[in-house]
Amino acid sequence: MLYREAGQFKTNYAADQQVFPIRQDRIGIIVLLAVAFLGVPMFASAYWFSAILIPFLIFALAALGLNILTGYAGQLSLGSAAFMAVGAYAAYNFQLRIEGIPIIVSFICGGLTAAGVGILFGLPSLRIKGFYLAVATLAAQFFIVWCLTKFPWLSNNSSSGVISTQQLIIFGHELTTPVEKYLLVLSIVVVMAMAAKNLVRSSTGRAWMAVRDMDVAASVIGIKLMPTKLLAFAISSFYCGVAGALYAFCYLGSVEPDGFSLDMSFRILFMIIIGGVGSIMGSFLGAAFILLLPIFLDVALPFFAELFGLPFSSATVSHIQILVFGALIMFFLIVEPHGLARLWQIAKEKLRLWPFPH
Amino acid sequence: MSKKIGDVILDLQNISLRFGGVKALTDISFNVKEHEIRAIIGPNGAGKSSMLNVINGVYHPQEGKIFWHGKERKKMEPHMASRQNIARTFQNIALFKGMTVLDNIMTGRITKMKSNFIEHALWFGRARNEELEHRKKVEEVIDFLEIQHIRKTPVGRLPYGLQKRVELARALAAEPSMLLLDEPMAGMNVEEKQDMCRFILDVNDQYGTTIVLIEHDMGVVMDISDRVVVLDYGKKIGDGVPDEVKNNEDVIKAYLGAGH
Repeated sequence: MLYREAGQFKTNYAADQQVFPIRQDRIGIIVLLAVAFLGVPMFASAYWFSAILIPFLIFALAALGLNILTGYAGQLSLGSAAFMAVGAYAAYNFQLRIEGIPIIVSFICGGLTAAGVGILFGLPSLRIKGFYLAVATLAAQFFIVWCLTKFPWLSNNSSSGVISTQQLIIFGHELTTPVEKYLLVLSIVVVMAMAAKNLVRSSTGRAWMAVRDMDVAASVIGIKLMPTKLLAFAISSFYCGVAGALYAFCYLGSVEPDGFSLDMSFRILFMIIIGGVGSIMGSFLGAAFILLLPIFLDVALPFFAELFGLPFSSATVSHIQILVFGALIMFFLIVEPHGLARLWQIAKEKLRLWPFPH
Repeated sequence: MSKKIGDVILDLQNISLRFGGVKALTDISFNVKEHEIRAIIGPNGAGKSSMLNVINGVYHPQEGKIFWHGKERKKMEPHMASRQNIARTFQNIALFKGMTVLDNIMTGRITKMKSNFIEHALWFGRARNEELEHRKKVEEVIDFLEIQHIRKTPVGRLPYGLQKRVELARALAAEPSMLLLDEPMAGMNVEEKQDMCRFILDVNDQYGTTIVLIEHDMGVVMDISDRVVVLDYGKKIGDGVPDEVKNNEDVIKAYLGAGH
C-alpha cells in the first residue's frame, strides 16, 4: 500500500526520465544518504568504520567499475585488482613526486593512470570476446603485479614493493580518525556512483549495452565498436583505480603488490555476479554480500554454537563459515541467476501490487 | 497509388561477392529509385541477405561498383551506413535484448547525438537537453508504430511480432532516407503481416522513405512493391515491375523447378 506510483503522473519527459521516478524511492534514497552521512558517524564504532564500512564502500566502487565493463559493455575482465594496484601506486607516486599536490587530485590522477593502462589491456577486446578476453585480461593481472615488484622506482625503492601511503590532508586538515576517512570514502563513492548512473542512462550507456547485446546491429546503427569498448575499459579502470587509491590511502595505509592478487579480482567478479550484472545497485549489494556475510557468520556461528551448547572449536567454526558461505552463494545463484539486484526489483514489483497477486 | 518515384539513388553495378571459394553474388546489377519500394526475392540461399549486407557495408564485394546519389562509394564500414542515412532491420531480430523498448529505439538516434561521455556523467546542459529532444522524436516513432504500451518493457520479454515492430521502430528513429528490411514478415500470422504491410506503406507514403525489402510471402511482395529483383544462386534472373516478374520464365523455373 505504501509503495506504489498510483497517482504520480508524469507530464513531461524530464520527469519521466529521472533516476527515481517513484516518489517513495526518492524519499528512500534521501533517508539512506542521511543515515550514511549523519546517522552512522554518530553511532558506529571505530571497528565498524575501519573493518566493515570503509572496505565495503571501496569494494563496492571497484565492483561498480567492473560492472560498467562487464555488466554494461559486456567485456569480461579478470584484471580489476591489477587496475586497483595501478591506481594505488600511481596516487602514491603523484603524492610523492609532485610537491603540494592535493590528495584528491592524486586520487584522480591515479584513476586516470589506471584508465590509460586499462585502455592498453582493453585493446585485445577489439578482436576477441568472452572467456578468451578474460584470459587476455589475466595478462594485466600478472604483468602489473610483476612490474610493481620488479621496478623499485614505482615503490620509491622500498623492499618488495611495499608502500606506506602519505597523510590524508584535505584543505589543510589531516584526516586521521576512521570517521573522517569513512566520510571521505563515502563522498567519493556517492559522487562516482551518481556519475555511473548518469553514464548508463545516457547514450554512452546505451552504446555499451548495444555492443554487449548485439555488436553487429550496434555497428550498423552507427556505433563505432572500437571507441565504445575502449571507453568502457577506460572508465571501468578509472573506477577501479580510484578504488585502489582509496584502498591504499583510506583503508590499509600500507600495501604491497601481491595484495592485489588474482584472488581479489575474482572476489570483485563474484560481487557483481551475486549482486547483479548490469546494475549499479547490484555492485553495492554484491560487495555487501561478499564482505559482510563472512563477518556476520563469524559473529553468528559461535553465538549459535553456544546457544545450543555445541562443542565447536574455533577451527570448526571457520570451516562451517566457509561451507555456509559457499552454500549461500549457490542458493542465491539458483534462486536468482540475475543477482540480488533482480531479487530487489522483483520485491519492489510485488510491493507495488500488494496486497493483490497481479 | 499516386506517389512520385524519383531518380536513381542507389546504383549497383556488376557486384560480385565471394567468401573464399563460395560465390555468394555473381555479377549483379540493379538500381533503386528514390521513394520506391524495391523488393529482392529468391529461393533460400540466393544471396538476398548478402545483397543487403553489401548495400550497408557489412560485406565488401570483390568486384563491382556502388553509386550512392550518383557518387561512387569507396569501401565502407558498417557504422558509416547510418551516417549516409541508411537504416536496416535483420532477418533474425537483432534487438538489444537487455534494454527496454524505449532505450532500443533511442539507440537508433545515437549518431545524431553530439554530447560526450563527460557531459553524460554530469547529466548537465547539452547531454540533458539532447536526451529530452531525442525522446520527443522517439515518441513520435512510438506513436506511429502503435507501441506506446510496451515503452518500458525489456525487449526480451516481448512476443516475436512486437519485437519485429520494435526493430522497425529503431530503424525509423534514425530518420533514414533508405530503409533495408530483411524479411520483416517472416514468422508472422496474417494479422501481424497486415499490420506490418500497413506500417511499411505508411512509412513510404508519409516520410517518402525508400524501402528495399527481402520477403518470401509472394502475395505481400507483389502487392506492395513497385519493382522486384529476383536472385537465384547469386545471379540475377529477373528484374521489373511485379507483373513482369510473375510471368518471367526463369523466375517460374527457379521457384517451381525445371520440370514444371
